[in-house]
Amino acid sequence: MRAYYSTRHVLDRAFSGLGYGSVALMALALVALLGPIIGKGLGAYWFRGTVEFRLFVLERFHRGNAKKIGIEHREAMRAREPFWAVLRAFEAEMESDSALRRRVGKDYHRFQSHIRELLGPIPGDSPPLLMRQQYGQTRWDRALVKRHQALHIEEWDYGDGTGMGVRVWKPRRLLYAGTALEPAFDLLENHLEAMLRPRWTWYGRFLTDESFDAHFFGGIWAEMLGTLCLTVFAMLVATPIGVLSAIYLSEYAPEGKLIHLLRLFINTLAGVPSIVFGLFGMAFFIHALNVTPSKSVLAGSFTLALLVLPTLIRASEEAIRAVPQAYREAAFSLGASRWHTVATILLPAALPGILTGTVISLGRAAGETAPIIFTAAVSMGEPLRWGRLLTAPTPALPWNLYNLCTEHAAVDEIRHVQFGMALTLVALVLLLNMAGIFLRARVSRQLKV
Amino acid sequence: MTQTGKNRSLRMSARAMRWQDATRWMGTTLLLGVASLSVLAVLFIFYFIAREAIPFFLARGFREFFTSTAWYPSAHPPQFGVLAILAGSALVTVGAVTVAVPLGIAAAICLSDLLPFSVRQGVKPVIELLAAIPSVAYGFFALVVLAPLLQERGGALFRGFVWGIGIPLGALAVVMGSGLMAARLPPAWRKRGSVGIGFLLAMAIGWFLRALAARAGGIRVDSGTNALNASLILGIMALPTVVSVSEDALQAAGREIREGSYALGATRSETLLRVVLPAAGSGIAAAVILGVMRAVGETMVVWMASGNAAQIPRPWYNLLQPVRTLTATIAGDMGEADHVTGSERYAVLFAMALVLLVFSFLCNLAGEWAVRRSRRRMSGE
Repeated sequence: MRAYYSTRHVLDRAFSGLGYGSVALMALALVALLGPIIGKGLGAYWFRGTVEFRLFVLERFHRGNAKKIGIEHREAMRAREPFWAVLRAFEAEMESDSALRRRVGKDYHRFQSHIRELLGPIPGDSPPLLMRQQYGQTRWDRALVKRHQALHIEEWDYGDGTGMGVRVWKPRRLLYAGTALEPAFDLLENHLEAMLRPRWTWYGRFLTDESFDAHFFGGIWAEMLGTLCLTVFAMLVATPIGVLSAIYLSEYAPEGKLIHLLRLFINTLAGVPSIVFGLFGMAFFIHALNVTPSKSVLAGSFTLALLVLPTLIRASEEAIRAVPQAYREAAFSLGASRWHTVATILLPAALPGILTGTVISLGRAAGETAPIIFTAAVSMGEPLRWGRLLTAPTPALPWNLYNLCTEHAAVDEIRHVQFGMALTLVALVLLLNMAGIFLRARVSRQLKV
Repeated sequence: MTQTGKNRSLRMSARAMRWQDATRWMGTTLLLGVASLSVLAVLFIFYFIAREAIPFFLARGFREFFTSTAWYPSAHPPQFGVLAILAGSALVTVGAVTVAVPLGIAAAICLSDLLPFSVRQGVKPVIELLAAIPSVAYGFFALVVLAPLLQERGGALFRGFVWGIGIPLGALAVVMGSGLMAARLPPAWRKRGSVGIGFLLAMAIGWFLRALAARAGGIRVDSGTNALNASLILGIMALPTVVSVSEDALQAAGREIREGSYALGATRSETLLRVVLPAAGSGIAAAVILGVMRAVGETMVVWMASGNAAQIPRPWYNLLQPVRTLTATIAGDMGEADHVTGSERYAVLFAMALVLLVFSFLCNLAGEWAVRRSRRRMSGE
């Protein structure tokens, strides 16, 4: 009994607890990371789309039932009519009352611009230039944010003396009490749904639609295509080199100094920071070799190929070494040459393992950002075209995710696109990896002779 | 082997043999050539980075680069003092290692010695997935989710952290402390004594934790993108590397020494801490080195999460201030320096890359040495 409670055993328990706790903490980290990305990322695909969204899809992509959308749009316009009438009445009142105009004229301008963002152009406006001004809010969640901005005046309170202001939202209607604009606030608060007609929408074409107006509208096709091209070409370059290197290392190389040296260099290559790969790719492929005069898919693919080469060599080598020695001996005893054995016996047996390495490297190449910053990626650009698949620079998922959440002019307005992009990238990489893990599990079952 | 001629034997003609030897030699050489492409790539990387970096060092010397904190690359005349940026890289890396190494080694021990085999098969793929998530997704999380959280609810977060870590550790300290102290009392008093001492200890520790939590809760985070944010996320990113490499090392330590230790009456924790860990020491050192390399070389997370201010925090351990790292500087400044290829502003970025490259190369050598040493020790001196 006493031994059970002794400090040694308590320590032992505590130590086990520490181990379990750390694994749990890791799981927690994974959940905390993936939770928001998956949760909010799905919002890019599955959201409450307004009539403006359906109108946009119809006009730009020619999808959807034109007749039904036409009817719906007209109904929404009819629902907005009383609201426009209130605005007109208020403008007439301002015309006649110059004191009122002096008091609220500036703020009314701000109010109007909020309304334009919410519902699209106000009747009587000249046709706007930017696409984001031609349509109202396409998403109901964004529309609610815009409504909040229209209903409230944003003020900063510096009262607490730290110099760090506190944001206060003051109801805008207080400013317009007693004027003809007052009913407008009630209309916005109670009848916005009739004006925008939100409905749950599955927007699977987010993946394959081009983006419009700096990602305010549309999907992420240009980025998807760029990432696909970059990674596929990178693997086309890297796989043959990787597999042949692995064959040499596992079957041909004499044990000794040479193989040590080769391994040392392969490990060094694996340890080179990814940003250095980017610099090297720019200095070598673009400036020295001049494969293309400036950034291009080709230069980016070559750089990515170098980056995944060590992973690929190691995975392939492991796969080839895992083929039981009996296979080799059987082949040699039948008089097959070494190369014959490699080509007809070892490679087919190791193929699933090599495929696993390839698939996992594919995921790695798809997610890397730093190597393509200087060699391939541009922030705004057309999707790649057939004739210039290799020689043109391209947007790519990882780079544009960075770009949209740091350098875009309206970072907050397109959060859903950023999350959607993050989800797409993570899903792409994780699916590739899961496929790799699954393949490997099958292989290890098969090779157990 | 077509059958031509009447006089055929199993022996090949001298010509056929020469031909076969020649093709074999050519094939092997070709394969060697392909395998040496990696060697070539490494040499080329060193050459092309050094080609820009060394003229920079020759022209401006090492002193400014390594000892000045004045980083004004676009001023007239420009100043290229990289010390603050080096310090930023070091600070963020140390932070990341502080997160990743204890957690990673504890998790590796759990994986290799505590969890049943079936659970382990389930956990290992999860760790691989953690390693596979692209760094830009980690950076996005740091910038869009963690940074606002730190900025707005930093105090509450720290308070929760103090309680979350403090309560288990405190409980452990109470049990151990009371047990140890009670053992010195005369036997008749031990039971009551341990309860009393435990109560007193719990009071003291509770009071200490409350004070600490109150202090942590009062911390105000001015900017969510700071060294702490970057360190945390980098630590999580380096975790899978540390876990999988040190787990391999623990596994390689072998069953015999564990069984020997148990046979001498040691508990599991004593076996692990005093026998297995020392035996796997160099393998774990390799894990730490690889973790450090991952943290130093990472670009996107630090670019997005560290705040990018070229300054040494004051005091130097203040993780709540923004810093700037080597990788982020290269990524961020090349866009502006690119169109002035050949200028010093362009070359200084290559000089930074050379520093990174040399550092990771040295780490690699150290890691290699550690692995080889552990392998030699495992196979029995």
